[in-house]
Amino acid sequence: MTGPSMLPTLANDGEWVVENCLFNPDKLQRGDLITFRSPLDRTRTVCKRVIGFPGDVICVDPTGVYAPSTEHVKVPKGHIWVMGDNAAYSRDSRLYGPVSMGLIQGKLYARIWPLKNFTIFRNPTTYLDY
Amino acid sequence: MSAVKRACAALYWLPSLILLTDLYTLKQVSGRSMQPTLNPDSSLLWRDIAIFEGLLTHYYGRYRRGDIVAFKSPDNAKYQLVKRITAVEGDTVRTLPPYPDSEVVVPEGHIWVEGDAFHSQDSNLFGPVPLALVNSRLVYLIWPFRRFGSSTSPANRGVHPRVTPAGGKIKSRMF
Repeated sequence: MTGPSMLPTLANDGEWVVENCLFNPDKLQRGDLITFRSPLDRTRTVCKRVIGFPGDVICVDPTGVYAPSTEHVKVPKGHIWVMGDNAAYSRDSRLYGPVSMGLIQGKLYARIWPLKNFTIFRNPTTYLDY
Repeated sequence: MSAVKRACAALYWLPSLILLTDLYTLKQVSGRSMQPTLNPDSSLLWRDIAIFEGLLTHYYGRYRRGDIVAFKSPDNAKYQLVKRITAVEGDTVRTLPPYPDSEVVVPEGHIWVEGDAFHSQDSNLFGPVPLALVNSRLVYLIWPFRRFGSSTSPANRGVHPRVTPAGGKIKSRMF
């Protein structure tokens, strides 16, 4: 994996991960790490975190760089909203909008290299009741 | 022993089988959205069958305006749609009613697809389609026999009247 967009979860360079390409797309959850074909360039596969599902209302950009932070959008049917963990260095749904589920290739399972940083990726989402 | 041999032979030929099925596939086209090019007479019982070229088209990035392509529906990945490319990245398209904006520039890595018939589920409904969703291009129509041959007729090679081309080229070379 290369690139700064998923810092601090994944390092800039030199890490190896295992991904599950046969996962059930219906069981995808908010907060999962996925890989998908980039909508901007079909030759590239990118890794991002799932933020929203069809029907969710999402704030386009909380940081206010790509769009005013008051702008909200509803994720259309069959699409998901993805973001990198390092918002400052990530080209994600804030730029190209919701991503079609047909582009998804796999779900990240674990980091296997370097060995001392071996991690199985757990879903970090906590849901707030109010 | 012969069972083992047979298993080995099957394993040996498996990659080439996979490669062949990825290179060229037969697809049956249903629906009326591509009339009159495909399924011209919907009252007949058969549907058109065509050969679609997969890997090679992908590898060389041979997607041009006027090509008929098969792609996963952006709304529902389980379905495939067959439509004609009317614009590639950078082109300006004057859209039809269901689309919110009257004019749109096709973004990087996307194409604009439309059916030949008027009422069709196409880019006017779901917007530009990322090229990564496209998996093959129609090369030959093989059924029914009387229309055997290339169906992307040269008459359709011209630029669509609602499209202003920008001379954009799709990035070729997949690997």
